[in-house]
Amino acid sequence: MKLRSTLLSTLSASVLCITGSAALADCADPIKVGVLHSLSGSMAISETTLKDAMLMLIEQQNTKGGLLGCELEAVVVDPASDWPLFAEKARELLTVNEVDVIFGNWTSVSRKSVLPVIEELNGLLFYPVQYEGEESSKNVFYTGAAPNQQAIPATDYFLEELGVEKFALLGTDYVYPRTTNNILESYLQNKGIAADDIFVNYTPFGQSDWATIVADVVALGEDGKQVGVISTINGDANIGFYKELAAAGISADDIPVVAFSVGEEELSGLDTSNLVGHLAAWNYFQSAESDANTDFIAAWKAFAGEERVTNDPMEAHYIGFNMWVNAATEAGTTNVDAVRSAMYGQEFPNLTGGTAVMLPNHHLAKPVLIGEIQADGQFDIISQTTEVPGDAWTDFLPASAVLKSDWKELGCGMYNVENEICVQLTSNY
Amino acid sequence: MAGAQPYPKVRLRACHPFIESLLMRSALIALILMICSAPAAVAQTLQPILQTHAVEIAKPSRRSVGEALNTITRSGVPQATAFLEQWSKKNIWQRDDGVFLIGVADGDILTLTDVDTQATFSAPKSNYKRLKPNGGVRRLIGTALVQFQLIDPDLSRREAAVASIARRPEAAQLNPLLTSIDAETDPALKVRKIQLANFLSALFAKDPADRIAAINILSTDTSIESRAVLNQILSVKSGVADTQPKGNIAAIHNPMDAPDTYYAALVNEGLAPAKQTAADIKRALEFNIVNGRIAGFSLALMNDPDTRETAYAVLAANGLVPALITDDLRNTALNEHVFYDLYDEPNVDITAVAKTALGSVTSRVATAQVADLTLDALSLASIFFLAAIGLAITFGVMGVINMAHGEFIMMGAYTGYVVQLFVPNYTMSLIIALPLAFAVTFGAGVVMERLVIRRLYHRPLETLLATFGISIALQQIAKNIFGTQARPLTSPDWLADAWVFNDVIQISHIRIAIFVLALMFLGLIIYILKRTRLGLEVRAVTQNSGMASSMGIDPDRINMMTFGLGSGIAGIAGVAIGLYAKVTSEMGSDYIVQSFMTVVVGGVGNVWGTLAGATMIGFGQKGIEWLNPSNTLAAQTYMILFVILFIQFRPKGIVAQKGRAAGD
Repeated sequence: MKLRSTLLSTLSASVLCITGSAALADCADPIKVGVLHSLSGSMAISETTLKDAMLMLIEQQNTKGGLLGCELEAVVVDPASDWPLFAEKARELLTVNEVDVIFGNWTSVSRKSVLPVIEELNGLLFYPVQYEGEESSKNVFYTGAAPNQQAIPATDYFLEELGVEKFALLGTDYVYPRTTNNILESYLQNKGIAADDIFVNYTPFGQSDWATIVADVVALGEDGKQVGVISTINGDANIGFYKELAAAGISADDIPVVAFSVGEEELSGLDTSNLVGHLAAWNYFQSAESDANTDFIAAWKAFAGEERVTNDPMEAHYIGFNMWVNAATEAGTTNVDAVRSAMYGQEFPNLTGGTAVMLPNHHLAKPVLIGEIQADGQFDIISQTTEVPGDAWTDFLPASAVLKSDWKELGCGMYNVENEICVQLTSNY
Repeated sequence: MAGAQPYPKVRLRACHPFIESLLMRSALIALILMICSAPAAVAQTLQPILQTHAVEIAKPSRRSVGEALNTITRSGVPQATAFLEQWSKKNIWQRDDGVFLIGVADGDILTLTDVDTQATFSAPKSNYKRLKPNGGVRRLIGTALVQFQLIDPDLSRREAAVASIARRPEAAQLNPLLTSIDAETDPALKVRKIQLANFLSALFAKDPADRIAAINILSTDTSIESRAVLNQILSVKSGVADTQPKGNIAAIHNPMDAPDTYYAALVNEGLAPAKQTAADIKRALEFNIVNGRIAGFSLALMNDPDTRETAYAVLAANGLVPALITDDLRNTALNEHVFYDLYDEPNVDITAVAKTALGSVTSRVATAQVADLTLDALSLASIFFLAAIGLAITFGVMGVINMAHGEFIMMGAYTGYVVQLFVPNYTMSLIIALPLAFAVTFGAGVVMERLVIRRLYHRPLETLLATFGISIALQQIAKNIFGTQARPLTSPDWLADAWVFNDVIQISHIRIAIFVLALMFLGLIIYILKRTRLGLEVRAVTQNSGMASSMGIDPDRINMMTFGLGSGIAGIAGVAIGLYAKVTSEMGSDYIVQSFMTVVVGGVGNVWGTLAGATMIGFGQKGIEWLNPSNTLAAQTYMILFVILFIQFRPKGIVAQKGRAAGD
């Protein structure tokens, strides 16, 4: 058994050497990059943009001379916003198309569906969207924000800068809002906000009847406390929500709303004149002033169309893709394990200025930005922190406060620091 | 000018006599103040004052900016007002050398104005940094500006000042506000100022009699602000002490109502030792194992809870562990202490009046909430009705299961969006969009009927599959044409606001419009079906197509027209729904299930039934939402469960067809 495995590994190593040298010589097969984003169904609204962004990044890399002397080739599949189909398409990408890396997913439920496949086949996934944390897979790099890079700083901003004393946590009914709101509830109570002063509501995807919920939020102000709304409402339900807010005449000065899933793309479906001053928290806004960002926006508009906007998950793909290219170049191969080792400590400039660093827990250190909605549908950045390291396991839930993820030194994504044992290696929880 | 008139000439309905007396007094004080402070305003420059607080101004925070604001407002420099206003509008720029300037950006060029000399000049943007005070700081700036803006000739500035007071009421604002009421020329703002003055007097007036008078007025005011004022006056601090404390006591609690909770409060205050948990006792026993025995008892005996207790008692008696807090000990400790709620407000009369006022307001609010919920339910019912009424014709009357009905709604909404692209006037575009949406979806309906449905009459399963396929195809076509992103369908200004009866009862105009539209269509459909030749023929064809055709009616034409009519109404519903919610390629699928539910619950084949179904579902959903406000999804789930149960007991719906028309 042992003999066989050594034999196998030497064999595979030699195969690798051969393909490596062959690639440098004439590169018969291009390096394949899988793009796993829904192009139809309810999430197409957000994910098609990311597919386009990936195609642009790959095209740019090819004009720069490709990777390791080879052309890059995008393999685009459509999982159709169907969560189980994500797993099938991931398997297809890894076994049939034999891609070297996958960039994809938006909703957490689709990521959870892909995890077992990608871990079984030892693939590599770059996940670009802000998410609820509480997860760490050896085969996934999370280039979006963890809760401590978006939700917690935004809540601090409400508490410190706006003096909010009463919170309405409104969310769409699925795993991301529910987990985030659990973390926030526990965080707010630690900060001395009474449980009675936190109002939580969940609505279905695509909710359009917001009158009663908005009235409930307004009624929170009846004891004279400053009310603020933290919104994890996802997708097009936001449109009805903001329309109802505007109709009820609620200005950002009266009841500020901070959203975690509303970016430039979502605002393009709205008349924003009544929303001026409401907030969003992200790691990137199109309005960020830096030379890299100006170039990126210009390239994007040239690629996709003049009226298109950029957003945070696009920046996450931009950073993730470039880090992957640099790591593969350093490793001299696109082999998953070699690239993963080379990823730790990778640095790449953010589009907002400053530098993103890949941490051993597969998260990025990125700055947190808070922007106010402007009449033109863009965000005015009013607060920008220094780089915040992403935390896979939140410190604000007792069960996960003792957990730590470190794939570089400890080789474990779920390490209990109290007992000093690795709870488990796979992420099938 | 206004001061020259004798005061009582201006008498408003809402102006209470006591406010008038306050007004007179404060007007005098203000006059004296003005005379005293007038000579202080010597020509001064603002820039040096700004520079002393440069750090706080450049990077302001709610907690640190207060002192800078105080210095600026107290300086008496006339330019300060303009500076604060521009700062709040994010129009202040800081040059590399730290100088603050008012600036407006146009591309890369800034047009800058000196804060003191008002000299203007242009400069490239690169050497300047824009100051962006956040919402919290802007609120403080607003409060600082109140004293300057309250008597400003510009109405919008006065309104801004009043809004600032409403957001952050402060004691110091009472007198300036009272003084400004007299000279206020705008009647609406004057009423608002008097209302605010009343709030401020209730909170901050010096004379308790004034406060009580102000609080009494609040007892009929159901606004959120008035409730906030009353709640602030009635704010309490809970505490515990050996004896009853002095002060204005709100309540004394009986600790025996929830002994463990109150004991925990006692422990928190450090007035009693913590009660041991089972785990604590176990740990204490384990810690005291000596030679395999605990307090002389062998470990084997420890299975018996009584022995454990005795062992612990022995350990406690020896001073090795703290004494066990039994229920008796806990109750003794509780009875030795007084648990109280103490009002922050020391005056007993004021809190008593406020409590009565709040009680009266609360009952009024409860009534208003019922009314508001009824309005919401009516509105939801009318939306369901509007979405379903087209289906009531195609499914209800003709019996065609059209799964693409939702996509006709979507087509209507996109028609509205396209019209808005070409007609920028929103009112005008709406007037064009409504008939156009009808025409487009009528056409689409007719085409679909001719090509598909006609071939599948009396084959419901095939119709269902075929129309479902068409619905998916239509969605994808819409995605290809309009993209996946939601498109804006903006309502004209007169539809964008809300009708506000008071802070509790309000409903947006667009919902009222949908309600009216739904009623109009109800009338129209009933009229067409019951009073016109077409309606007669439709009923004839649906009841017995063979007989109808032998009477000289062309059933093909009638079916086509009926299906077109149903689809056309769906298109108009689409415009209305797009105005209040969103326009996406998938909006149709949000409504298709609700629509079928409405028609089936109401009773197939009857427009009144659809109305009854929509009303029942609308009210039912709002009722469940009211019972469980934290989960809207659950409300919808329970509603569907209820509908399934309902259908079990009344399979023909609320308004059941009788006789031959029932078709069985």
